[in-house]
Amino acid sequence: MNIPNGNRDFQSSFELKTVLETSRMLVESRDTSFILNNLLLILMGRLLVTKAAIFIYDPVADKYTLKKSKGYQGYSEEKEYQILSNDEQKKLAYFPVSDAQNVFPDVLHDEENSFYFNLRTSNNHHGFLLLGPKANKKPYEPHEIDFVEGLTIISTAALVNSQLFNELNKTYRNLDRRIHELNTLFDLSKEFNLLVDREKISRIFKFALLGQLFIRKFFLIYKNQDNISLLASSGLTSDPDNSHVEHIFSVPNQEVFLIDDEFKQQNPWVEENEIIALIGISIQNEKVAVIGVGERVNKIPFSENDFNFLKSLANLAAISIQKTYFLEERIDKERMEEELSIAKSIQQGLLPDPIPPVPGAELAAKTISSREVGGDYFDVARSPDGNTIFAIADVTGKGVPAALLMANMQSMLHLLLPVDISFAEATERVNNIIFKNTPSDKFITFFWAKYLSDHKILRYVNAGHNPPLLLRHDKAEFEELDKGGLLLGALETIAPYEQTDIQLNPNDLLVCYTDGVDEAMHPIDQKEFGTERLKESILKNRDKTCEEILDGIVQDVNAFSSNQLTDDLTLLVLKACE
Amino acid sequence: MKNFKINHRNKSGFEVLDLQGELDAHTASQLEDVLKSLINKNKSNIIVNFKDLDYIASAGLGVFMAYIEDVRSIGGDIKLTNMNEKVYNVFDLLGFPTLYDIFEDEQHAVAKFLNDSE
Repeated sequence: MNIPNGNRDFQSSFELKTVLETSRMLVESRDTSFILNNLLLILMGRLLVTKAAIFIYDPVADKYTLKKSKGYQGYSEEKEYQILSNDEQKKLAYFPVSDAQNVFPDVLHDEENSFYFNLRTSNNHHGFLLLGPKANKKPYEPHEIDFVEGLTIISTAALVNSQLFNELNKTYRNLDRRIHELNTLFDLSKEFNLLVDREKISRIFKFALLGQLFIRKFFLIYKNQDNISLLASSGLTSDPDNSHVEHIFSVPNQEVFLIDDEFKQQNPWVEENEIIALIGISIQNEKVAVIGVGERVNKIPFSENDFNFLKSLANLAAISIQKTYFLEERIDKERMEEELSIAKSIQQGLLPDPIPPVPGAELAAKTISSREVGGDYFDVARSPDGNTIFAIADVTGKGVPAALLMANMQSMLHLLLPVDISFAEATERVNNIIFKNTPSDKFITFFWAKYLSDHKILRYVNAGHNPPLLLRHDKAEFEELDKGGLLLGALETIAPYEQTDIQLNPNDLLVCYTDGVDEAMHPIDQKEFGTERLKESILKNRDKTCEEILDGIVQDVNAFSSNQLTDDLTLLVLKACE
Repeated sequence: MKNFKINHRNKSGFEVLDLQGELDAHTASQLEDVLKSLINKNKSNIIVNFKDLDYIASAGLGVFMAYIEDVRSIGGDIKLTNMNEKVYNVFDLLGFPTLYDIFEDEQHAVAKFLNDSE
């Protein structure tokens, strides 16, 4: 080299100035790409080099990725390459390309004047700068090598800085996102607590999801009892029909289900609406909702964190929606109870109160409903001839239907009361009307009687009712009043009903009852109270008043069934006087 | 009651919505109602001015997501202006700048609308 000394000094200071300027600029830069590009351009410009490239090392995969390439043919940026032939080379400041493991075709013909410069900080190897030959084909001067080394060290430090900065920035943004998600959850849980409007909850949930996940397509399907319905949606071309809704609800078993080709084939609606994932939401192990989402508008795939956020938010919404259904059920139930209690007071108004006195006899009667309203019925009324008619009946079934039929029965009896026809004939008319008016599975068992007080004669018709028990004052055995005919409402009257007269004597006792008495259940043994226990109860109290006899039976039945009556219970007790 | 208000005015033939206060889960439906009524009247060139908006929650962002396609499908757009840094950060965090034009002031939004239609 015959460069004069003065010229060389000038060149050194020029190079030093470049290094200083570059370092100032690089330290402030946080842009990796800019730093690498800058390194290549400075070197190529200063040293008149036409080919240079930078490879960044990934210590985990032990691979080199080409980040920047200028002037080389046949290299692709972002592609991975093998460079080293041994680990020692990572510690060298530079080495000729011919020492590397893999010599690329485009490097081959000038490999003698090409070098790998180590991108290193004091502890770590970060990659290589590949520097091709100078344009004038002359070898590198030592001061030029120094210059490259110096610039490489500064650039590497800046590179590490920028990587760190980017990493920090990413972490910071992720943290920011998490905080924002938490805020959203917190906001919505407060909001949901205040709301009882299902539609509003679903809408707020929708907006929060669209905003937070940056999506446009969304739906929420909710299952209440056996009804699955679409509660909210956004960006859909059409609402799903029932079969699609049920299919969506039935298929994904896991919490997050990514729609696959098989699913799309089964459910074209999902494909048409570009739904990419379904998320199942369960409350206490029971699936209550499925949420479908389309892809993010900026195409960035959902992360596990995104799905976790979605699940948390959806859980909040599902619980709040469930709460609205529970509330509605409670309101419905309360309304129903109120109506039933009105019905009960109407029904009670149909029973005789007070029970009119019966000339020539003492009478007590009572009905106890197991539910709010019931199908048991009794009546005591004065007939136009001055005698007393009494009746006891039991409608099949319980609750409101039975009570309606019972009310019907009551009005018929009172209409027929003043009509001058025989007891048997009246029964026949009642049967025909009930048969016409009621469905075939509704019957009434019915017993009624007229007490002719002057002669102490009891005239009765029993239409399929439990035979009333007659206990003569001087006997310990019971007679059963079972004559009459078929129960009411089963068939149109074919054979006429039969009426029977019985002569009563003072202190003869008659007990009429419905099946709530003899069929009362023992809660443990599952045995029925039965007529034998009923008879014992009557015998025990036979000398007492009708009221006391009736109360005695009720007490015995209650004790037997531990006060758990499952059916209506009605008793009517009559005792002939002196 | 939370403080949120929307003022609707007209500027050079564009619909301008001034948002004020806090746009969150509670108040999102107010914005929804206004946007819906604009869309129904085919008024689709909408500028939303955030100058006096102090806070925005995800549900507020969701309203923009839910109606942007409707607005664009009738040939309009929603452009956003005058966000304070806190509000802009939320939009940025969730990726909105890729989908929406966000400007420093209304003048730029108007200019963009005029440019778009040329």
